[in-house]
Amino acid sequence: MTDDPIADLLQSVAAQDRAAFRQLYSEAGAKLMGVLIRMLGTRAEAEDALQEVFTRVWLRAGRFDASKGRGMTWLIALSRNHAIDRLRARPNHVSDDLAMEQAADPAPRAETRLMAQGEARRINECFDTLEPDRAQALRGAYLDGQSYIDLAARFDVPLNTMRTWLRRSLLKLRECMDT
Amino acid sequence: MTPHNLTSEHPEDEDDLLAAEYVLGVLDLPERTAVEARLKADTAFADRVAGWEDRLSDLNGAFAPEPAPDLMPRIEARLFPQAARPANGLRSWWADLRLWSGVAVASVALVAYLALTPPKPELTATLNLDKGALQYAAVITSGRLTITRVAGEVPDAAHSHELWIIAGNDPPVSLGVIPAGGETISLPGAAAGAVLAVTLEPPGGSPTGKPTGPIVAKGALVKA
Repeated sequence: MTDDPIADLLQSVAAQDRAAFRQLYSEAGAKLMGVLIRMLGTRAEAEDALQEVFTRVWLRAGRFDASKGRGMTWLIALSRNHAIDRLRARPNHVSDDLAMEQAADPAPRAETRLMAQGEARRINECFDTLEPDRAQALRGAYLDGQSYIDLAARFDVPLNTMRTWLRRSLLKLRECMDT
Repeated sequence: MTPHNLTSEHPEDEDDLLAAEYVLGVLDLPERTAVEARLKADTAFADRVAGWEDRLSDLNGAFAPEPAPDLMPRIEARLFPQAARPANGLRSWWADLRLWSGVAVASVALVAYLALTPPKPELTATLNLDKGALQYAAVITSGRLTITRVAGEVPDAAHSHELWIIAGNDPPVSLGVIPAGGETISLPGAAAGAVLAVTLEPPGGSPTGKPTGPIVAKGALVKA
């Protein structure tokens, strides 16, 4: 047992405990649904993706290692990866994402929520050391699944410029967070 | 898109930045599948990815929970095709209790039996196509499936073989990419008659969760 109830459930799921699998769904389903709706844009696709995510959770729970991270972090990483794969497999995903972007600019919304999160204080302090548009691009990538191509279009800069911006920002972020 | 070295003079930073870009999600599909193939073989690189998942997980608080419908019946129907649930709302709690005490006795007997006898294969399948040399053999023993390539070649570096199970009219469920040396995975609840199929996919497997390439081998599970 750990102090991480989701990790405990994942370990039971790895041992093929179906009751634990159901409990995991009731405890983590809403959070993962939030991840998938935000990234994929529609509830219908998010529900389809959530089924796929939980199918993978059952098949891959044995790969979760509680000594390396929290259960919810692992579940969200799995969900984000699946959502990103879906986004990248979409034809014309640039225009889709841009339409979404214009409909509701997610950055300020994310920021407001983040301010309320104690656990996020460290990354926010580190984001404050970056130029604001670059911090916003990083958030757009992580929270909304925007690719380099999407971000270059959104910030109206060439693709390689965006790539250089983000790579420099990632190095700064790492330096700030690891100290 | 070629990785470039503008940001750093340290070569190890290139790997770390690629890991960060993967976790951030900004790479395109071919780049992602290349990273996923590397993740399976390169533990140092996998640790870099885990490091970035941890750093960026501080952003996870910004994902607001959304009500999720109860998808569990559909998920379980895909994963455990054998477990036909008698949707009998009238069954009383003591009937359940009696059932479970019976199951408990049976379980003790089963454990004793299993302790004394080596597990025997329960289901087998031979996966191939009429034309073509490729053949896989699948064996299910105690809820674990072992898949082995018995004839033909592994795919080239630009492709992976991905294994799927199809129960009845349900959509295929991925059981993952088959490593060159075969593998054993947990697969409880598979039933005779379900079909195993291998498709040709991008490295690291189908990006969509559904088969995207041609079937290169298939076969139905039969009782051993």
